[in-house]
Amino acid sequence: MSAEMANEIKLISGRSHPELSDKIAKRLGIEVARTVSLNYSNQETSFTVGESVRDEDVFIVQSTTTGDVNEGLMELLIMISACRTASARRITAVIPNFPYARQDKKDKSRAPISARLVANMLQTAGANHIITVDLHASQIQGFFSVPVDNLYAEPSFLRYIRENFKTEDCVIVSPDAGGAKRATSIADHLNTAFALIHKERPRPNVVGRMVLVGNVEDKIAILVDDMADTCGTLVKAAAVLKENGAKSVLALVTHGILSGNAIETLNSSVLSALVVTNTVPLGDKVERCPKLRVIDISPTIAEAIRRTHNGESVSYLFTHAPV
Amino acid sequence: MVRNIVVLGGNSHPALVDSVCNMLGLPACNRILTKFSSGESRCEIQDSVRGKDVYIIQTGFGGNGSKLNDHFMDLCIMISACKTGSARRVTAVLPLFPYSRQPDLPYKKSGAPLFKAGSESGRKDYTFDSVPATPAPGVPRTAGLINGTDITNRLAKTVLTNGVNGANGVGSMSPVKQTNGESYFGGNGVASPVQSTTIGSYTTHDYQNVSHIGAFQAKPGYKQWVAQAGTLVANLLTCAGADHVITMDLHDPQVQGFFDVPVDNLYGRPLLKRYIQTHIPNYKDAVIISPDAGGAKRATAIADSMGVDFALIHKERRPTKITDRQNASMMLVGNVADRVCILIDDLVDTGNTITRAAKLLKKEGATTIYALLTHGVFSGDAINRIKASAIDKIVVTNSVPQDEHKALLGSKLDVLDISPIFAEAIRRVHHGESISVLFNQD
Repeated sequence: MSAEMANEIKLISGRSHPELSDKIAKRLGIEVARTVSLNYSNQETSFTVGESVRDEDVFIVQSTTTGDVNEGLMELLIMISACRTASARRITAVIPNFPYARQDKKDKSRAPISARLVANMLQTAGANHIITVDLHASQIQGFFSVPVDNLYAEPSFLRYIRENFKTEDCVIVSPDAGGAKRATSIADHLNTAFALIHKERPRPNVVGRMVLVGNVEDKIAILVDDMADTCGTLVKAAAVLKENGAKSVLALVTHGILSGNAIETLNSSVLSALVVTNTVPLGDKVERCPKLRVIDISPTIAEAIRRTHNGESVSYLFTHAPV
Repeated sequence: MVRNIVVLGGNSHPALVDSVCNMLGLPACNRILTKFSSGESRCEIQDSVRGKDVYIIQTGFGGNGSKLNDHFMDLCIMISACKTGSARRVTAVLPLFPYSRQPDLPYKKSGAPLFKAGSESGRKDYTFDSVPATPAPGVPRTAGLINGTDITNRLAKTVLTNGVNGANGVGSMSPVKQTNGESYFGGNGVASPVQSTTIGSYTTHDYQNVSHIGAFQAKPGYKQWVAQAGTLVANLLTCAGADHVITMDLHDPQVQGFFDVPVDNLYGRPLLKRYIQTHIPNYKDAVIISPDAGGAKRATAIADSMGVDFALIHKERRPTKITDRQNASMMLVGNVADRVCILIDDLVDTGNTITRAAKLLKKEGATTIYALLTHGVFSGDAINRIKASAIDKIVVTNSVPQDEHKALLGSKLDVLDISPIFAEAIRRVHHGESISVLFNQD
């Protein structure tokens, strides 16, 4: 078979994050496929396909829009199902920020395990492969019976820290016990100190008392977490770190969901900067929040798509961030 | 009091849930169903469902500040939560089934498809099927056509000849995408009124924002198509864990076949029939009209059972030939002069079909026009259109919340209560009794 005859990458973009899709497409040197999603006046989502996907390797990029997760998810499911009926060879859902990732366990009676439901729905719709970034809990991969490539923002963060700070001045802090692994991994790579904040959480989106474990005195404290939602945790943690003598505090977070009053909370906090990746569309938040910095994650995702398409190993991306 | 039933309501139609619960003589299940600030649905079921027969009522309607897709996801999450909470059986009760009706393609007023298929000029020169060329050894994927013409030349021409859409030629999909991005998800304004002005010759009521479609173009030579989500919705419900589905007046009865689980499709027909018999004077002399051929079966069933005359409106969505009078897209089959007309259909969405049908009936000499429909969605500018139309009375059921519509339409709108039908269906399904009695009661 000649190279021209191999099936090609078709990149389909949902409505949630067209900027990211464009960046990925540009990086791959291809064009975003001609499709359009709309809502009918009765609010049903319609998806129109304007070019053939028959026997192609389809990648559908859909992130989550803060405040409108279900709309994006439904659109993604319809897009997958449409490509399946249109005889695509393989359908990969590229979901930079996996929706409902926090509802991953039955933490009380009759609580829904929505992350598993989403996993089942994606497979029911016809997804053959999932690419995502920094799953809240890597166990979510177990909800799928199709391959899930969980990419890490960590290499990008390591580069950011190395480029902007002297590593010996830094201490990496995990804002909760659950993120300790993520933070220690970064601390180990940079050969820096590590600290941890223990917190009690009485209700969702509400933060309780916090205790610092470790020493941050006269250091640049770098908080590391996978998502910043209302930013209550981060801001309280930053205050605790300041009280304990940190020179300055910044936060490195993969998914900047930034819902509710997050921007106001950040602006009035002691955090000097919040660094996020562009897995979630940020809209005008960058203008509204001078402390917000954005790392472009599209090279990592684009490279993962390229490698997946060509059947190469993706594990290189777990330790290296393409420039 | 019925034991071991749990009735769980979604946020889409609390009034119907209360009403059904009242009739069954049991309180609705306590639950928390809200959204986290991130936009993810939050669902907690506070009463035990272990070993219970759970009925979850959620209608496929978005409006009044709530969104259809949110309701649907909520439903799936509730089903799944009940399943993981060891419910014996979970039945999804969807008075209006979402995504059961989707037009093949959006169309212009003239009936022509809204999207342009490639370029008009290009098509004269090459046949539809030859692009892209069928790959064969040695034939590059997109380099040329079977007949040897250079496709890149053709494409370049296409860009130029598509003058109407100017800059949005081949390969400029991205600007379209970008403009889409924010505006769709931006505000909470999904329920906000759709512009009633017509942009160019497009009918705007079928889509929220037509300017985006106007700019959209399929690849030259590819006939674009719209995904049908019916099967997907059916599969998603089953995948969430629904063991049984109860719905009413499915637009396409074939949707029933999309499911692997039992689907009970109830009929609003007996209600509509009773309304005709009790509220329309001299109904024996009236004419029952189906506004399109697809609904003829529904309308004839009512007409036959009451011994009333029947007429049909034939709707031509596609232009027969460009030379023909394109506006003659509706045609009445039957005689309605000096008669009372009763339009029967399953669903009024944008109201385009029935208002145009009413106009035609008035022109043909109808005296009074009633419109009886099972589902009154009234999306887009339907309310204004119906207010201005020749329809004298519009009758719908409360399969979706009608309070707001009633406030806007006033005495022109009558609402029939379907909660007894659903309460009885739930009772019968729970006790394992036949529900076919509900199909043909008079």
